[in-house]
Amino acid sequence: MLSPLIWAPFLGVVLIGLYPQPLQPSRARQLALAIATLTLFWSIYVATQFNIGQSGFQMQESLPWIERLGLTYQLGVDGLSMPLMLMNSLLTWIAIYSSDAQISRPRLYYILVLVLGGAVAGAFLAQNLLLFFLFYEVELIPLYLIIAIWGGSRRGYAATKFLIYTAFSGVVILAAFFGLSFLGGSSSFDYEVLRSQVLPLSSQLILLITLLVGFGIKIPIVPLHTWLPDAHVEAPTPASVLLAGVLLKLGTYGLLRFGLGLFPDAWQVLSPWLAWLAVVSVLYGSLAAIAQTDMKKTVAYSSVGHMGYILLASAAATPLSLLGAVAQMVSHGLISALLFLLVGVVYSKTGTRDINALQGLLNPERGMPLIGSLMVAGAMASAGIPGMVGFIAEFIVYRSSFPVFPIPTLLCMVGTGLTAVYFLILINRTFFGRLPETLANLPRVRWQDRLPSAIVTVLIIALGLQPSWMLRWSEATTTALAPIVARVAWEVSVK
Amino acid sequence: MNQLLVQTSWWVPVYGLIGAVLTLPWSVGLVRRTGPRPAAYFNVLMTLLALVHSAFVLGAVWNQPPQRQIIPWLHVVDLDLSLALEISAVSVGTAMLITALSLVAQVFALGYLEKDWGIARFYALMGFFEAAMSGIALSDSLFLSYALLEMLTLSTYLLVGFWYAQPLVVTAARDAFLTKRVGDLLLLMGVVGLSTLAGSLNFTDLEAWAQTAKLAPLTATLLGLALISGPTGKCAQFPLNLWLDEAMEGPNPASILRNSVVVASGAYVLIKLQPILALSPVALNALIVLGTLTAIGASFVSIAQVDVKRSLSHSTSAYLGLVFVSVGMQQSDVALLFLFAHGISKALMFMSVGSVILTTSTQDLRELGGLASRMPATTAAFVVGAAASIALLPLGSFWAMLEWAEGLWVASFWSVGVLLLVNGMTAFNLVRVYGLMFGGKPQAKTRRAPEVPWLMAVPMVAMAVFTLLAPLLLQQCNLLPTWETMNWTAVGLLVLSSTIGCGLGGLIYLNPKWEKPVDLVGKPIRDILAYDFRMERLYQISVVLGVVQSSRLTAWFDRYVVDGLVNFMGVASIFSGESLKYTISGQSRNYLLTLFVGVLVALTALSWSLLGSPLTAIAQAFSLRAI
Repeated sequence: MLSPLIWAPFLGVVLIGLYPQPLQPSRARQLALAIATLTLFWSIYVATQFNIGQSGFQMQESLPWIERLGLTYQLGVDGLSMPLMLMNSLLTWIAIYSSDAQISRPRLYYILVLVLGGAVAGAFLAQNLLLFFLFYEVELIPLYLIIAIWGGSRRGYAATKFLIYTAFSGVVILAAFFGLSFLGGSSSFDYEVLRSQVLPLSSQLILLITLLVGFGIKIPIVPLHTWLPDAHVEAPTPASVLLAGVLLKLGTYGLLRFGLGLFPDAWQVLSPWLAWLAVVSVLYGSLAAIAQTDMKKTVAYSSVGHMGYILLASAAATPLSLLGAVAQMVSHGLISALLFLLVGVVYSKTGTRDINALQGLLNPERGMPLIGSLMVAGAMASAGIPGMVGFIAEFIVYRSSFPVFPIPTLLCMVGTGLTAVYFLILINRTFFGRLPETLANLPRVRWQDRLPSAIVTVLIIALGLQPSWMLRWSEATTTALAPIVARVAWEVSVK
Repeated sequence: MNQLLVQTSWWVPVYGLIGAVLTLPWSVGLVRRTGPRPAAYFNVLMTLLALVHSAFVLGAVWNQPPQRQIIPWLHVVDLDLSLALEISAVSVGTAMLITALSLVAQVFALGYLEKDWGIARFYALMGFFEAAMSGIALSDSLFLSYALLEMLTLSTYLLVGFWYAQPLVVTAARDAFLTKRVGDLLLLMGVVGLSTLAGSLNFTDLEAWAQTAKLAPLTATLLGLALISGPTGKCAQFPLNLWLDEAMEGPNPASILRNSVVVASGAYVLIKLQPILALSPVALNALIVLGTLTAIGASFVSIAQVDVKRSLSHSTSAYLGLVFVSVGMQQSDVALLFLFAHGISKALMFMSVGSVILTTSTQDLRELGGLASRMPATTAAFVVGAAASIALLPLGSFWAMLEWAEGLWVASFWSVGVLLLVNGMTAFNLVRVYGLMFGGKPQAKTRRAPEVPWLMAVPMVAMAVFTLLAPLLLQQCNLLPTWETMNWTAVGLLVLSSTIGCGLGGLIYLNPKWEKPVDLVGKPIRDILAYDFRMERLYQISVVLGVVQSSRLTAWFDRYVVDGLVNFMGVASIFSGESLKYTISGQSRNYLLTLFVGVLVALTALSWSLLGSPLTAIAQAFSLRAI
């Protein structure tokens, strides 16, 4: 049931790899797109088979692999991974669709994108810690290569930085996993087995802090974030979409699944620190975004800020806040994907992302009015305007974290206001104003450029108007995941 | 039939939204062959439907107790966000007024924006605007009202930025959005806090909760202040008042709505919140102080403006300040009446001003004059609107102000003084505007000024008639005092203040002998009023400076400290690798030794943690209990 989600992309890899020479870019794209479509449909089918009321893993698959190491091929999906798995399939499709039709070395490119999609799906579905780690590492290589080969002018620097940071994150996570099994005395890396064992608080703390560093790089939490803006700026648009849309979610997913899930007691101890770290991330990311002049950097720093909300909600760890964390993951995935897609269109048509060089792109005759309108929608969604998914996700995050951490929550809310500031600067500079002569002869925006962003926008609005479509998958799981004794600083008086 | 219409009264806001969505193919340029007109017609039709529907509902619920409708929306874990609607004569009547004004403004815009290429986009935004406002009128849930207020912020941004190719418009749109956003953000904090404290966000539940709630004074104060800051931004009150003035760069038909019902929607939410605000005396006092400051300050500023739209918009702020005072004094009924009377008269004046602007292509009072004989309908509309917005018997605002004065006659006499001052100064200003625009000699831009086409004239005249008939409507609703119960002193004072204001204004501005009345006061005073008490400078040195400087600092820190450290580590490791390679002996036992020592250190570290106890103590020391 779940394996095709991982192996269909890899099958596509083989198919594209063995395709007889010469492989035209358009043919490679068609093949990759077909595979991605199949995967997407399969994940929708899996979603229809998903039992919403059940909190544990479903549709489990298990195959013994290297038993001596405790490594089994064990998959399962629950309310935490379901929405992320769906988003991964969708964004992989969108990334392939929005790839440059005349890209150089198409065979390698599409192989890498498919490997990336398959590996991320594997990481979301893995129920064995070592298997998770394997997929987590596998996913790094294609992204490194995509940035290093098809990236911008400083691609070497950015790709190396990305690789060093995230490989280090992988090593640290592996260390924590080994430590867990070593301290727990079990030879198994099965999630359910490890979850049932109880470690003393001190060991929990050490392991959790280690995990926190590992996943903190991936999320990223300030001050471990500096790889992200560089990677985003240099990466080609589809890679940015995948990076912001799903890869960062691996960090928060891992933190919830392995951090909170395996070390609930230590989580309680560390959660106030996490909440303050979230405040730092939110304010730091938002303030840094205001000062940027590169559109992509603005969106990248905005990612740092918005991932902070997920951290805040995770720290609060009440049933509602964990649901809010999942909602914010979906919401940020869609919104940042949309923003990167749109920035990508602007860049491909004008050749620049400098907000000081661009102006008046909303011009109805010679500009890009539809792209501009979608940009306004995306920016407003990110700034939490109701009617779009960003609002309800953030509202649940605030509402649920406020009783636990009142002051950090209020400070994080300031970040929402700052979001409005930097996106307004971006829109006012680039889309408003008079279209200068230098930009008067832009290539036409074609339907292929608009379709991906239009699809994502429709989703953003639909989920904003009907958030239960997004939340219903996770409610049972997140309720079960929350520690029984939640810390409450403020007495809730419901009468 | 009527029952069905009442049941479906949530459609009233939806019509506007449907209209907005229907215009999308035209507004984003997908359909070009037909021109943008069909989009406009769709919207006018939808607004008409909304008006008819709300009229029927109003008929059905007239003299009935309020009904509540709950639309389940989202229920997860312990959070229940259902959208509650209140179907009562007041709420439906408000929604009907909004749709009616929206219809009038939209028909007016057919003429006003006849040659504008973006007309489809304009109508989409107007539909959105109308939907959000009529939704606020019907909403019985703070959550829904908050969401709609935010949508109003967004549509204000886009409507003000309608002519986005002009630099002034871009800054005006930005300021409108950000100023309102500051208010909204604080309101959101209040909403989140209130939701945590009270458990529900429906106004009915909140009112019941507020009866018995016992809050710490600090909590109540912070909550109250957060709740009033949203309306403060929406109603353009000090210190969030400048956006309304700048928003006058937008197209005039949107200004009609903005100055009448959009600002009122903020006050409407404030009135709904009043039972909760009553928990905090500080919040109520803050309302009174802010309202008084704005009412007096904006009245002065409006007299110093040469831009006619800006002058009128400052007077809107002033009137909303009076509404704030009345809510602060817990006189909500008066506030509603005031909003009604002010809304229709201000809308009418803005229509008249819009006609003048379209005909003469200027909104600078110094370039206008002598239009009275050339544009009779427009002149008449302005006179009716002006008369209805000051205390002149027997038009709308007179009754509203009378109620206001009577309500506060005993409680606080000084606030009646504020009312008289604002009324007198508004009277003076309106006569001034009239004199400069319609009186005097024609100037270059007004010499050949025909009356506006029927698409603008018809809604304008209809509005004027409605304004004249409004007192009758009020009488039908039993909102007017009888002759016996009237406070004749208050009547006298009000009429006196209007007369003094009009008389002074007439003496200065309708007097052909007085050539340059501008020189009446010294230049410093004139300048400080013309530039809104230099409020913009205040923003520049406080909020803007803070955000800009801290963002620069963060970016600098990010680039040179965090990233610099990372790059330094990279360079250092390359360098040390390069230097270490000269120390390599090539003997395998040395490598083995290094490996062995490394493993030993790692194992020691891990097994030390097994001991546990010292770390537990550290862990306990690290746990922050009191946050």
